[in-house]
Amino acid sequence: MSGVSNRATLVLALAAVAAATAGAFYGNNYHLLIIGTIAISAIVATGLNVLFGLAGQISFGHAGFFAIGAYTASVLSARLEVPFVLAALAGAALAAIAGALLAVPALRVRGPYLAMVTIAFGFVIEQGAAEWKSVTGGWNGFMNIPRPGWIGGAMDDRVLAIACAAIAGLLLYGFARFASSRWGLAMRATRDAEIAAQSLGANLVAVRTLAFAISAAVTGFAGALFATLQGFISPESFPFFMSITFVLLVLVGGQGSASGPLLGALVVVLLPEMLSALAEYRLMFFGGLLLLVLWLAPSGIAGAAASLWSRVSRRTHRALPVTGDERRVSRFLSREHGAPLRVDRLSVRFGGNLAVDQASLTAEPGRITSLIGPNGAGKTTLLNLVSGFYKPEAGTVRVGSAEITGAPSFAAARAGVARTFQTSQLFGGMTVQENLLVALNRGRLAGAAAVPAAEGAALADALLAWVGYTGSSQRAASELPHVDRRLVEIARALATRPEVLLLDEPAAGLSTEDTERLGEVLRRIAGLGLAVLIIEHDMPLVMGISDRIYVIDAGRMIAEGSPAEVRQDPAVRRAYLGDDEAVSGEGARPPARAAGATRAPEALLVHQLTAGYGAAPVLESVSLAVREGELVALLGANGAGKSTLMRAIVGLHRPIEGSVKFAGSEITHAQAHAIARSGLTLVPEGRQVFPELSVEDNLRLGAYAKQPLTDARVDELFGLFPRLAGLRTRRAGLLSGGEQQMLALARGLAANPRVLLLDEPSLGLAPAIVKELFGALAQLRAEGRTIVLVDQMARLALSLADRAYVLSSGKIVFAGTAEELKNNPVLEKAYLGGA
Amino acid sequence: MDLNTFFSAVVAGVGLGSMYGLTALGFFVTYSVSGTVNFAQGSTLMLGAVLSFTLGVKFGWPMWVAAPIALAVCAAWSALVEAIGVRPFARRGSESWLLATVALGLILENVVLFTFGKDPRGMPATFLTNTGFELAGLRVTLLQVAIPLVGFGIAFALNAFVTKSAAGKAMLAVAQNRDAARLMGINVALVVTGAFALSGIFAGVAGMLIAPLYTVSAGMGTLFGIKAYAAAILGGLGNPWGVMLAGVLLGTAESVITAGFGSSWTQILSFALVIVALALRPQGLFGHATVKKV
Amino acid sequence: MSSKPRLLLLAAGLAFACGAAAQDIKIGLVAALTGASAQSGEAITRGLAIAIDELNAKGGIMGRKVTLVRRDDESSPPKGLAAARELISNEKVAALFGGIDSPVSLAIIPVVNKEKMPFIGVWAAATNITKNGANPNYVFRVSAQDDLVDIKLVRYAMQTYGVKKPGLVLINNPWGESNEKGLKVAAEAAKIAIAGIEKIEPNDVDMTAQLTRLRNAGADALILVANAAPGAQMMKARERMGWKVPVVSHWGISGGRFDELVGPTAGDAHFVQTYSFFGNLNDAGKRVFTAMQTKYGIKTPADVLAPVGTANAYDAMHLVARAIEKARSTDGEAIRKAMYEIDDYAGLIKTYRKPFAPNDHEGLGPDDYIMVKFEGGKIVPVGK
Repeated sequence: MSGVSNRATLVLALAAVAAATAGAFYGNNYHLLIIGTIAISAIVATGLNVLFGLAGQISFGHAGFFAIGAYTASVLSARLEVPFVLAALAGAALAAIAGALLAVPALRVRGPYLAMVTIAFGFVIEQGAAEWKSVTGGWNGFMNIPRPGWIGGAMDDRVLAIACAAIAGLLLYGFARFASSRWGLAMRATRDAEIAAQSLGANLVAVRTLAFAISAAVTGFAGALFATLQGFISPESFPFFMSITFVLLVLVGGQGSASGPLLGALVVVLLPEMLSALAEYRLMFFGGLLLLVLWLAPSGIAGAAASLWSRVSRRTHRALPVTGDERRVSRFLSREHGAPLRVDRLSVRFGGNLAVDQASLTAEPGRITSLIGPNGAGKTTLLNLVSGFYKPEAGTVRVGSAEITGAPSFAAARAGVARTFQTSQLFGGMTVQENLLVALNRGRLAGAAAVPAAEGAALADALLAWVGYTGSSQRAASELPHVDRRLVEIARALATRPEVLLLDEPAAGLSTEDTERLGEVLRRIAGLGLAVLIIEHDMPLVMGISDRIYVIDAGRMIAEGSPAEVRQDPAVRRAYLGDDEAVSGEGARPPARAAGATRAPEALLVHQLTAGYGAAPVLESVSLAVREGELVALLGANGAGKSTLMRAIVGLHRPIEGSVKFAGSEITHAQAHAIARSGLTLVPEGRQVFPELSVEDNLRLGAYAKQPLTDARVDELFGLFPRLAGLRTRRAGLLSGGEQQMLALARGLAANPRVLLLDEPSLGLAPAIVKELFGALAQLRAEGRTIVLVDQMARLALSLADRAYVLSSGKIVFAGTAEELKNNPVLEKAYLGGA
Repeated sequence: MDLNTFFSAVVAGVGLGSMYGLTALGFFVTYSVSGTVNFAQGSTLMLGAVLSFTLGVKFGWPMWVAAPIALAVCAAWSALVEAIGVRPFARRGSESWLLATVALGLILENVVLFTFGKDPRGMPATFLTNTGFELAGLRVTLLQVAIPLVGFGIAFALNAFVTKSAAGKAMLAVAQNRDAARLMGINVALVVTGAFALSGIFAGVAGMLIAPLYTVSAGMGTLFGIKAYAAAILGGLGNPWGVMLAGVLLGTAESVITAGFGSSWTQILSFALVIVALALRPQGLFGHATVKKV
Repeated sequence: MSSKPRLLLLAAGLAFACGAAAQDIKIGLVAALTGASAQSGEAITRGLAIAIDELNAKGGIMGRKVTLVRRDDESSPPKGLAAARELISNEKVAALFGGIDSPVSLAIIPVVNKEKMPFIGVWAAATNITKNGANPNYVFRVSAQDDLVDIKLVRYAMQTYGVKKPGLVLINNPWGESNEKGLKVAAEAAKIAIAGIEKIEPNDVDMTAQLTRLRNAGADALILVANAAPGAQMMKARERMGWKVPVVSHWGISGGRFDELVGPTAGDAHFVQTYSFFGNLNDAGKRVFTAMQTKYGIKTPADVLAPVGTANAYDAMHLVARAIEKARSTDGEAIRKAMYEIDDYAGLIKTYRKPFAPNDHEGLGPDDYIMVKFEGGKIVPVGK
């Protein structure tokens, strides 16, 4: 957590120790106890801060480590007459071992399950101490714990209090240094974006185990201090409530911040003392404080202070932008003989579905290779297979001569494969520069010497400038605008000095200018000798910069070649635009309505709808109208915003600007369930059936908002989709893709909606099923239903539609009749890029 | 340990375990519809016991009046926990509801400490605890029979509710696919509140049933809640019958171990068991693993 | 950031502590004010408060007003220890009174001896509270002592029920251990065998296993040493088992709502006390009872909860007051020496004549013990 620099923490630590020393000389014996308690609390909180604040793992069992340290030190020093300092260190060591062991189950679980593991641990230790009477004295407790040795005998109360304060100050400063060290950076990276951290080479198991061990050791040491301060410990000294208090210490102060533990200790220990008359209300006070912090100041006192400070300091002076250094970058990145990426007949299956089927491709160094294909074709899956996030069932992946098939992601990263993600996975809690520093170290904790700090910083800045980032490298990554996030992520991937760079939709959300600049950057990267493989939907970009293009559809490679070759390939056109054949049968479109004929009323009206995240709107001033009885097609390439538009209309995406009117009333701010009840139904992308409920239950739920369906109506719906009738009682999750889509459609019809929106109904379905589906749609159209159809199968959709809109990069680029659009080049341009 | 002691322990354990299971069902219900765990559940159990004591014994109201009121308050308390301790955090994608519900439980415990009293109270003997019968050489009270009956009865009722009624199916829908449920016209926020209220009732019933067996005090819910939570985790938060079964197993194991080795060993072994079980099967004993999507 | 507020805080605290109480003599109490034995803490408080009222009505001690400062130990030794330290160093009490839990008192002993703070136990009966090996020893007691209670319990069981082979049910803590020693010695002296020794934990809810083992071993009576909550659970187990064996108990069970927790069979347990408000009361008894009626709304002797705490504390407070007067000082060492110089005191439980001596810090003896039981929610005496 940036904010308080190391120097500031040093000053704070020294001030605290000075204050404690002064207090020790002024106060009475009880005050010495308080000072000691504050110091010990700060130490525990620092320990827990490593695990909770840096590594992001919750623990409700730290009283257990505290107890281990306390008992170990007590037994060794009192019974075996080991000098107390050694005994305390032994306690810390034993606690560290316990922490590393606890990490084993803890690593496999998260969230509430992790909480349970730590709670259980705390209880086992507490009860174990009670049961192991011969060593710990059982419930009677352990008395006469000796003091550490000092000049002229054992430490008295005052010296001990000051010693505790000094140790606390030391550890506070140590934490600050640790947080910015290679280890601390690795931990923070795994906390912020676990997947991205692994993709840079961080070994999650090693990092988290280390965090547990260090956290336990520090807490155990504090436990030893506690034992000697109190002089008496018993299992009742380490109740479950103490673990909660420890978490409170970290939260109140500010998790992840170096000064947080001190602030937390001051508040949590002093406040009840000052209100000792209200000591009975202690529980309530802690509970209330915890709630307040969670509601109002989730980053604690230190966090609130830091954000206040940064707001002030930003006003007084602007942070400096990064300075470029071409030579340094090319010295760092360029390769004489790059290594190609060779993927050979890779396959993987999810459930019963063959997501990637015998895919092969080669990305040559020094060249840009692109992978394109319709939505759901398996592009990202292939990327994940190559970068080690999924394990393939068959096939091989090679980088140069090294085989990395099936290696976990961090191993793939260390073998030279770097990647970016569809949605940028930056480490939000760290600065831009720190993001790159993690990558520079390749997430390693040990082994190859870390890049020295100064050089690392300079290199990071140089890389950032090189990709076109113009902001400050000290900026918190969470505050970056969209385009900068993309650039920083690319720079970060480059910082691992990869052989192969994989980019997943790098141009998503970028303006045309930014996309052009991105293309230049990618060319330069390839120019340095890396193999660049990108997945993209932005056709101008792909066609403009690729040396070679691979086309994938339904998990199989269907084409490869130069951009010009691919654009002409009929298989490619079919995959993207659908068959040229028109739908036959009853679905044959009735003649176009004569101009001037009575126009049906508007059922759905969207006006200047804008939706999106921050500076880059996903939808910009979109307007469309749907009249009763019409079938309107909404077409466009992936990433154009079609699904977002559908979700925005029915209330699943909020907030939005502009207006949406349904049947005359304004639904712009209405909630999704209310909109559904009013008769505007969306059959969402990806079917979204209720997997554990039966087919019939799914169907009936469609009419939840209205009256329950009569059996007759149910039969009617099954009549529309005879295939479903025999699957009435089957759990919907077991149906095939096509059957699920029919179910979703039937479910959408169940409520007899006024307007039906369909989002990509043909996605991932076999051609025969698609034909059946569109046959059903034609029937619905003939019945006079109002339908908005979003589909990739552009030609098929157009064959049914009265009117059509084309969406490109969030804007409407065509609005007119289906006939007009059929042969209009704007369609091809939107899907396949310009000539 | 002789057979008699063993059977006695099993009988006691099944009763205790079915209450773990019932309370754990509450965890299950809230987790499935909202993906969150209500750590204040233990305090709700205590609230049920305390209210039934206060209304039934202190004020002397008949049980058929006191019990529904107590349960209504429990339901309201759980709904409040959801509104102020879960929703603000779930909405912004933070996991702080874990700590917030712990905090709320602490606050309730303290409030009860001051209003109800600082020392434990005993429920007076009723016909349930007085009447008993011989079963294979041990004396079993009506209450000990009633407890598992009620526990499983409620579990069955819950099952019937979600599989047969429209509202129940709506709850399942929310649990299985939130956005799709919204598209069906289901008011998801209302369903989540209802689920929390329901889990509060479960905890309240458990509290009222175990009160005559133990004592009623402000702190009685904490450890019980943790054990029930362990049962829920072991059962796998997604499986209601697994949760009930895990509760009964946990309770029976505890009871038998106590009879044989003493109660410290019980705590050690049951919690160690939880750690080992989760290490081997991170999704719980009866839960199913989820595929991580990148 | 932290230095200024810290100093200010210390200064404020000191000022507050010094300013207000320059004249008052503070008497400290560390006892269970919450939890299963909360009634004991309340009873002790009442005894001290009534005695303090009487002292203040006569102008206080050495002409200074006496005030009572209480802290809750929640029956937990670490908490009791922290509370004792606070009262000693912060509140600067002149004397410290203890509560029902022997483990808590045992944890506090080292600190009071180190800080030279007179400590008077008024309930906790573990033998090594007063026999703690320290010299000088600042720990006194006006209460029962386990060794002697154990002799009384064994004798009562033999005389009343003809017991030949008692089974022991003991709480698993230092108090239980203290009595384990004492009961073994007492049984040996009385030439009877012990059927078995079973341990119970404070939070246990079902003692069926332990009782079954004792029954199988042929126990013809149960000797119980535990506080109200676990004691009650043992009685409930005994009832569930239908085992109508006599129960002779130490007084821990009178520190909480034993009868309410047990139910109908509560009266089967006969236990020891040092005082009863039933029967003819002496002058002090009448005075104290009247004060209880006015101050706490007591109506009949049966309404007095945990009478032992009140009686012991009342007498102990007066004894300490006399010692302070004799010492003409609140210095700990002076008070300690003065405790050995106390003249006659016509107290509630008995008339005390030089109750303490350097090798005898116990104010009461076996002749002061009586046996009682619960009946209809009240503590009533049984025959001798």
